[in-house]
Amino acid sequence: MVNEYVRPASLEEALELMEDDGSVASAGGTFLLTGYEVGRGRDMDCMIDVLQLLPSGVTRSGNELSIGSGTTFQALIDSKDAPACLKAAALSMANRNTRNRATVGGNLGANKACASLPPILLALGAKVEFKARASAPLTLDLDKWLAAPEGLVLRVIVPMAPGTLAAAGRASRTACDLATATVGVSYRLENGVIRGLRVALGGFSPHARLFPDLAALFEGTALPPKADIERVAKPLLTAISDHRGSADYKKQRGAVILADAMHAAEALS
Amino acid sequence: MKTTFTLNEKPVSWNSEPGQTLLDALRAHGIVSVRNGCDGEGSCGLCAVLMDGKQVNSCQILLPQVEGRNIYTVDYFGKNRSLSIVQRALIDAACVQCGYCTPAVVLALHELLARSPDPSEPEVKDALSGTLCRCTGYEQFFNAARIASKRLRDPSYSEAASEQFRPDLRHVGKDRDKVDAVALARGERAFVEDRVAADACHLFVLGSPHAHAYIKSVDISKAEAMPGVVKVLCKDNCPDLVYTTAGQGFPEPSPHDQRMFPRKARFVGDRVAAVLAETPEQAKAALSAITVEYDVLEPVLSIAQAKAKGAPIVHHGDVSYVVGDPPEGSSVKGDGRDDPILYQFPLHADPHRNLAASVSDGIGDMDKGFAEADVVIERTYVGNRVQCTPMEPHVVYARMDGGRLILHASTQVPWHVRRIVSRAIGVSENKVRVVKERVGGGFGAKQDIVVEDLAGYLAWTTGRDVFYRYNREEEFAASRTRHGMEITVKLGAKKDGTLTAVLMQLDADTGPYGQHCLTVPMNAISKSLPLVLCDNARFEVRSWYTNLSPAGAYQGYGAPKGSFALQTALAELAAELGMDQLDLIEKNRVRSGSRIEILRSLGEGRPGQPVTLGECGLGEMIRRGRVNLEWDKPKPKASADGWKVGRGGVIIQQGSGLPGLDAANAELRLLSDGTLLMLSGGADLGTGLDTVTAKAAAEILGLDMEDVSVVSGDTDTTPFDKGAYASSGTYFSGNAAVKAALDLKAKCISVAAGILGEPESDLAIVPRGIIRGKRGEITLAKLAHLSIQGEGHHELVGFGNFKTEHAAFPYGAHFAQVEVNERSGEVRITRYHAYQDCGTPINPALAMGQIYGGVMKAVGHSLYEELLFDNKGRPLNTNFLDYKIPSVFEVPDDFHVELVPVADEEGPFGGKSVSEISLNGSAPAIAIAIHDAVGVWMREWPFTPERILKAMGKL
Repeated sequence: MVNEYVRPASLEEALELMEDDGSVASAGGTFLLTGYEVGRGRDMDCMIDVLQLLPSGVTRSGNELSIGSGTTFQALIDSKDAPACLKAAALSMANRNTRNRATVGGNLGANKACASLPPILLALGAKVEFKARASAPLTLDLDKWLAAPEGLVLRVIVPMAPGTLAAAGRASRTACDLATATVGVSYRLENGVIRGLRVALGGFSPHARLFPDLAALFEGTALPPKADIERVAKPLLTAISDHRGSADYKKQRGAVILADAMHAAEALS
Repeated sequence: MKTTFTLNEKPVSWNSEPGQTLLDALRAHGIVSVRNGCDGEGSCGLCAVLMDGKQVNSCQILLPQVEGRNIYTVDYFGKNRSLSIVQRALIDAACVQCGYCTPAVVLALHELLARSPDPSEPEVKDALSGTLCRCTGYEQFFNAARIASKRLRDPSYSEAASEQFRPDLRHVGKDRDKVDAVALARGERAFVEDRVAADACHLFVLGSPHAHAYIKSVDISKAEAMPGVVKVLCKDNCPDLVYTTAGQGFPEPSPHDQRMFPRKARFVGDRVAAVLAETPEQAKAALSAITVEYDVLEPVLSIAQAKAKGAPIVHHGDVSYVVGDPPEGSSVKGDGRDDPILYQFPLHADPHRNLAASVSDGIGDMDKGFAEADVVIERTYVGNRVQCTPMEPHVVYARMDGGRLILHASTQVPWHVRRIVSRAIGVSENKVRVVKERVGGGFGAKQDIVVEDLAGYLAWTTGRDVFYRYNREEEFAASRTRHGMEITVKLGAKKDGTLTAVLMQLDADTGPYGQHCLTVPMNAISKSLPLVLCDNARFEVRSWYTNLSPAGAYQGYGAPKGSFALQTALAELAAELGMDQLDLIEKNRVRSGSRIEILRSLGEGRPGQPVTLGECGLGEMIRRGRVNLEWDKPKPKASADGWKVGRGGVIIQQGSGLPGLDAANAELRLLSDGTLLMLSGGADLGTGLDTVTAKAAAEILGLDMEDVSVVSGDTDTTPFDKGAYASSGTYFSGNAAVKAALDLKAKCISVAAGILGEPESDLAIVPRGIIRGKRGEITLAKLAHLSIQGEGHHELVGFGNFKTEHAAFPYGAHFAQVEVNERSGEVRITRYHAYQDCGTPINPALAMGQIYGGVMKAVGHSLYEELLFDNKGRPLNTNFLDYKIPSVFEVPDDFHVELVPVADEEGPFGGKSVSEISLNGSAPAIAIAIHDAVGVWMREWPFTPERILKAMGKL
């Protein structure tokens, strides 16, 4: 139930309200209100509508992309500045009705294992600019912020280094399904050798995270065949069995989408 | 709090609680075109609105969040009772079936065309990505988008929605507007929930948390005393009798084994108590105040468990029979605690051993047949439980009027509802009226009386209006699923592929109650085995009680699972023999003039008899598929590395109603201006049945479609009809309409002959509504006026009754081409061709829509859908986030439906059934194609990537 709805006038007011037990900040609300009609949504004594306070839009400046946290998924896809890998990750939220409402900030703030954007943003080395209470905006690596979220995300800053190859991938039962596994990879190919590989996966921990141990396996090597990537990656993944599949199957799918993403990134070169 | 925004270009300012969703607020203010199919998940999109020009789900937005926004609903596009370009295009492309999702589709296409006036197919998919539709199969939406797009530039643009048939007729075989399409496309009031009075009470049920438990005590005293509570019911104060919820003809071939509130809960969600209160919140609060003491028992969670010696007994009450005796050796004495079971006649049951029903029979000599075989194979196929998932869940609105109970129902069987509810609540049938509203998808689940008994009883006993609507979780857990089945097929054949023996042994899981426990599994045999000719054939069917969710009817009844088993087994036999699978089908299939001996054993509730088939179009359908899929050429290359291509083809059949059992009636009235009112007993579920009956009237009386209005499925105002099941709509209800029209025509000519002074033999009806003789003519309007005025003798009314002994089989051939990913196990359907004979297609494009929709449901069952349970019998995936039905993205790239009509001698204008058969081909065709691609036989549906990888030895 939502017992109180507040539209604060400032970020500071929003952050102050968020300190109350039972108060939750909402942008698009597509995560928070899922199942709300039958009481399955998150209980919120007070919903703090922050959408109008969050910056919105996608801008590119030099080798840096800035995404306002109030940007909807569809706006990200429609942006002329967003790279293809980021658009693909946003488009993996296949339901357009949801994309018209869901925001980049909400996707990060919900911090779900199945979230669409974190893996590719992690792989690209994104940072978040966020505001905590009584503090000037701070900037933090996304992986650090996801490990201990605080405040409200204002912007996501994505490095767009020339020569970076990147791709996103996703496994699900149908197109409009919560993801079983998500992946983002980025690297450079220097003389046919992988450099600076970053691998992030969702679905194999409570929230998406970087897998440096996986990246280390391929750093400095030529791009291995897909089968080789799968063979070495699968044992490094851990998953739980549920109605979407067994742990073994999920690990297999994770390894497959990783291999596919690494090759898809190369195809962009 | 107050929210000010613009709604359909008018400023509004609404007060609400802070937590009220936009969906609820709109409905509360009379905007009923926004609908709830997923309880706020954002999965179904039926609540869609345009917010500042973008389509969003109103269930996931609180009303205060739309402050200052521009909101459009479909009502804007249908203002002044007009139709927008998109609404008109959806009707022209035959996209409006049940109509529950249509307003959302209208909005999606308007949004699309606003940003992309000439959209590509991927753009159309993207636009519709947020809308789930279970009826249409999505394919014709692409046509609608194209039509609407072209009309933006050329308002006069038109295109044929389908091939047209029967040039000798004016309406039949031609595409005409579905008679309810305009209202549905506008999002007008049409469904049960649109009829509910503001002061109606709300009914909520407390379901059992245990799959199997005696209910020792229920304390409702606190709940009864709570504010707003009107009535609380439980096992201690409900009617003390058992009945079946199966909406079948009486006496039902289903045990009467269900009490309104059972003494023993038999599945998770079984009724324990119910609260009727003035608001939903009060009802829910009262439910939580009810305390229940259970005596928890070990549940039976599989067919194997049900069969096991010493298994827990799902039904342990006294067993009795209205007619006949219990089978020898069966147990009838109950444990003294459980509810009784009453069989109307013997079904070879032994409930205390969990056997709800059984039957076996056959022809020829099986030992001889297998002895003559060069090759014998035996394979077991498993079909897991799938859910009908109508987008409109089970719902009823019960109210009292003039001392009678009025049930506004979303049902397939209004007359069975009246009969069963009246008995369940202890009143006579004349005290009950059932009004079938538009049905937001039925698919078999609404052949059962799932909610009407309880709501009816509470309205009758309290006098209050009762609104009872399942939420999606209840719909999954407590409505009706397709029976789980395990089917072992044993085939013997000569080296040249000639079958020498066919044995089908079927075990079905009927769940906690026995509705359709015999007829669904029997249908798996009766709609698959007669497709092949073999002198030695036998079947053995057993239906078992378990503590899983209730099973029941689902489009196709048992046939999709029987077809999966037998057709896949035939393909496995072909592989064993090194034959092309279509060649093996060709060698053994029924054909024109075949005598089908096995029908001697498949009488569907009465003694069977062999049938000599008339014309059969299977050969032509196989030929067309073979040519169009280039079956005899090498397979095409896969679209990407790591994917393998495979193809499969199958033949299928169904029936057209139940000969010798069912009946339909219709009445056709000539109104004073020469127009017609068709009173049809038929229950149109969105299939277009009302359009069939309207066409029959217009065709025979020489009128146009707009001259005919249809009232149907109202037990007070229309005559009896068996209901919409067993593929009977067009054949039975349509034929009743034909007979009513012919009767009226004969009466009109008789009266006109007297007026014109010409012999009846010289008179004919010609368009538009003129009776013309050799010397004079009279319009139907004039005739009607004269017949009811002054010295006129009576109102001109035609009456038609249809029943038959004739079995009309629709046949089909389905072909699938798939790509299978060897690494992930994913399956993509790149081509799906369905060739079907529905006799004369009365509404060709609507018939094709039935096929597209049927195929897509079966694709879902084959690849994605399975209702899962944990080890305590608790369903695990009772929502659309966890149970995945196909969206527009799962539609095959090349999805082709072709009608190959072979007229039936008794069908209306030669028509036969079309819908249910469409679900019989996908599972075997896809399974065979997967084998062709990656070499593994998938014998358990759904063929999930995980199961495929396991079969390939990769997991």
